[in-house]
Amino acid sequence: MDAFLHQVIGGLATGGIYASVALALVMIHQATHLLNFAQGEMAMFSTYIAWALINAGVPYWGAFFLTIAFAFVLGLAIQHFVMRNIRTTSVLQLVIVFIGLLVIFNSVAGWIFTYTIKVFPSPFPKGDLLGQKYLSPHELGAIGVTLVVLTLLWAFFRFTSLGLAMRAAAQNPGSSRLVGIRVAWMLALGWGLAAAVGAVAGMMVAPIVYLDPNMMAGILLYAFAAALIGGIDSPGGAVLGGFLVGVLENVLGAYVVGNELKLGVALVLIIGVLLVKPSGLFGSVQVTRV
Amino acid sequence: MSVPLLDVVDLHAGYGLTRVLHGISFSMEEGSITTLLGANGAGKTTTLRALCAMIRPQGEVRFRGERVDSRATEDIVRLGIGHVPEGRGTFVHLSTEENLRLGAYVRKDRAEVEQDFDRIYGYFPRLAERRRQQAGTLSGGEQQMLAVSRALMLRPRLLLLDEPSFGLAPLIVRELFEILRAINQKERVSILLVEQNAAMALDLADRAYLIETGRVVLSGSAEEVKNNDAVRASYLGY
Amino acid sequence: MSAVAPAATAPLSPAAASQRRLQWIGLAVVIAVACALPFLVSNYRTFQFTLVLVYAIALLGLNILTGYNGQISLGHGAFYAIGAYVAAILMDRFGVPYWATVPVAGALCLVVGFLFGLPALRLEGHYLALATFALGVTMPQLLKNKAVEKWTGGVQGIVIVKPDAPFGLKLSPDQWLYLFTLAIAVVMFVIGWNLIRGRVGRALVAIRDHPIAASAMGIDTARYKSLAFGVSAMYTGIAGSLGAIAIQFVAPDSFAVGLSIGLLTGIVIGGLASIPGAIFGAIFVQFIPNIADQISKAAPWAIYGIFLIGFMFLMPMGINGAIRLGWARLCHRIAAQQKGG
Repeated sequence: MDAFLHQVIGGLATGGIYASVALALVMIHQATHLLNFAQGEMAMFSTYIAWALINAGVPYWGAFFLTIAFAFVLGLAIQHFVMRNIRTTSVLQLVIVFIGLLVIFNSVAGWIFTYTIKVFPSPFPKGDLLGQKYLSPHELGAIGVTLVVLTLLWAFFRFTSLGLAMRAAAQNPGSSRLVGIRVAWMLALGWGLAAAVGAVAGMMVAPIVYLDPNMMAGILLYAFAAALIGGIDSPGGAVLGGFLVGVLENVLGAYVVGNELKLGVALVLIIGVLLVKPSGLFGSVQVTRV
Repeated sequence: MSVPLLDVVDLHAGYGLTRVLHGISFSMEEGSITTLLGANGAGKTTTLRALCAMIRPQGEVRFRGERVDSRATEDIVRLGIGHVPEGRGTFVHLSTEENLRLGAYVRKDRAEVEQDFDRIYGYFPRLAERRRQQAGTLSGGEQQMLAVSRALMLRPRLLLLDEPSFGLAPLIVRELFEILRAINQKERVSILLVEQNAAMALDLADRAYLIETGRVVLSGSAEEVKNNDAVRASYLGY
Repeated sequence: MSAVAPAATAPLSPAAASQRRLQWIGLAVVIAVACALPFLVSNYRTFQFTLVLVYAIALLGLNILTGYNGQISLGHGAFYAIGAYVAAILMDRFGVPYWATVPVAGALCLVVGFLFGLPALRLEGHYLALATFALGVTMPQLLKNKAVEKWTGGVQGIVIVKPDAPFGLKLSPDQWLYLFTLAIAVVMFVIGWNLIRGRVGRALVAIRDHPIAASAMGIDTARYKSLAFGVSAMYTGIAGSLGAIAIQFVAPDSFAVGLSIGLLTGIVIGGLASIPGAIFGAIFVQFIPNIADQISKAAPWAIYGIFLIGFMFLMPMGINGAIRLGWARLCHRIAAQQKGG
């Protein structure tokens, strides 16, 4: 029983990370209507930048915010120079571009920083939290930081006119222009925000899984699954989905199928849910009149 | 003598290799309701799109004396031109209220924007009932009202309407046109109305221009155009 | 008023007729060159071109599903793997001759694909991509599983022997295998071509572009969509079996998720919803990674990524799309000159 509890709580801890990344994906989908597969690699690359800064002597929180700024600009730049110039007629063309970006970032990170695993520091104290061994201070702190960031983002999209304009620009660029929204800027902003949030998630995850170029791949996949199971347009669903996926992963891996198959089986279970509720547990069915 | 609100000289425009407008010229006075009539494919919608720079225009377009033909859509909107596009252009995944709020996006006067909500709901009470509803679930008539309202939230000097009667029951169209007349008279919003439904448009408008294959072939006051024999035969059916 | 004849039976204008003749001649030339190829280049190159043919068959299959029917699949590597393992197990464990394994692989994948297509009916876009991705990710793990290790050879995989040319023909195994694969490829392409331009193809495209209108017109959307999955899997399974025979080896890690992504990349770069696109895509998938490796040893995948983005910049409609556009522009220019001159 104790072991099972350990798996569940451990699953909640990793689930918190998945929840954060999933929330970022949902947020950015709201702004850009795209699922950026390269998000994970961009986050990983930004985390390496943070590592380089810290190694050069910059104090942690200084490096943290500098990296967020770097990631924001990186996202802006990619949207402005790459995405804006592609004449797309189908989603698949965008998917290929994302795959291209993903592969480039991964490869360049490996080339510049090598594939040796690096240690990334945590800003939170070490040792046991309140005397228990299930949840470390960093894991709790990480969830806290990312949830704060994401609450800010949610409020931004929901309550500010700029946030509303970004959502509008993603859904209907033509009509957005007719109300005076500068659509190109909105998309660039969306990308910048996405990259910044990704960087935060990356910096929170790195102390746990150690920094290496392939760090984000598995996390991104689980985060996608979490976002979809929660409903791609439901922030709350994404969070719940993240925890669900984290626990599933741990429990399945420990008791049902072993570590090798746990990824596949978790995904299969998620598909099972989707078959029953195709727009996710909390997703709204978007009604469009024909 | 005052400058015309809108002055269009020798406007050419098209879609890629297909040229649609072959030198449209017309003008509008402040406070008037002008209608562009013509059959399907004549170039009416293209004219409105060119005025708003949704497609690139060649020729001269002056709004209150200023050249606007080389400006971007987003800038033209800020000059006070509200466009209700063909097909309504509703933000279907957002609520009614969010759609309206977006209409006021470029305005800086927060308090007055809130007042305008009440004003708009006064014209269109049905929108008030549905303010939190997802805009895509509104009926055709309601979405048309929403589209017009959204443009009105800009407090435009000039309202461009592209086939507002399309797909609507005649009763709803009449209701809508009454409200347009009221808005024109009470708030001095000038209206440029593109319509296939010539009869209703000529009842509402002061001036009319008839467009055929990308050229203006007839112009005059609404009365004159209504009584023109050729127009009566081809467009009014009597 | 001239009567409008139905498109299928109306006689072609002289210009269209001569263009059609040109296409047939072009096709004949391509096939002649393809047949002559193994005698003109080294054995290793022949082997590489055999793989190009293999990928072409797989890409045509994926194109039927994704290009013509609009269902995204990030898991076709799984069907390829199934085809490959069927061939390997039948040849190694049961002594079945190589040529008999191909139809078995195809039939099995047809069934599995169809069965997978049934629940997939409920999923669209991202969700379908995730579901197929799950399939692609899980397959290598399933193949490594202890429960089936007896058959699949676990992590080590299975080694098979390349067949010799039959009837004592004076061909090297590579040359024979190339011609064998070419023959099957031609057959599969002819079947695919007929499928696409017939009623089935039109139904698939209608479902892709306007599912509501399609079903309102009486098209059984569910049946066609699952059939598309089945047929597409069949093609990929056949490709997998041929690939296994050519490479002489199957192991779980050869069929990791990178294969599925590579196949999807192939059809987009080659040209979605086009038959020649499958061939162009196959050439890309086979040769570009090598070229990328030669350009930069340190970060070859970065070069590959740049190629991908570059292609989407310059040829968003794929290689096939670019060729058609270029050809249309050329014809336009010739016609304009003729009119002017």
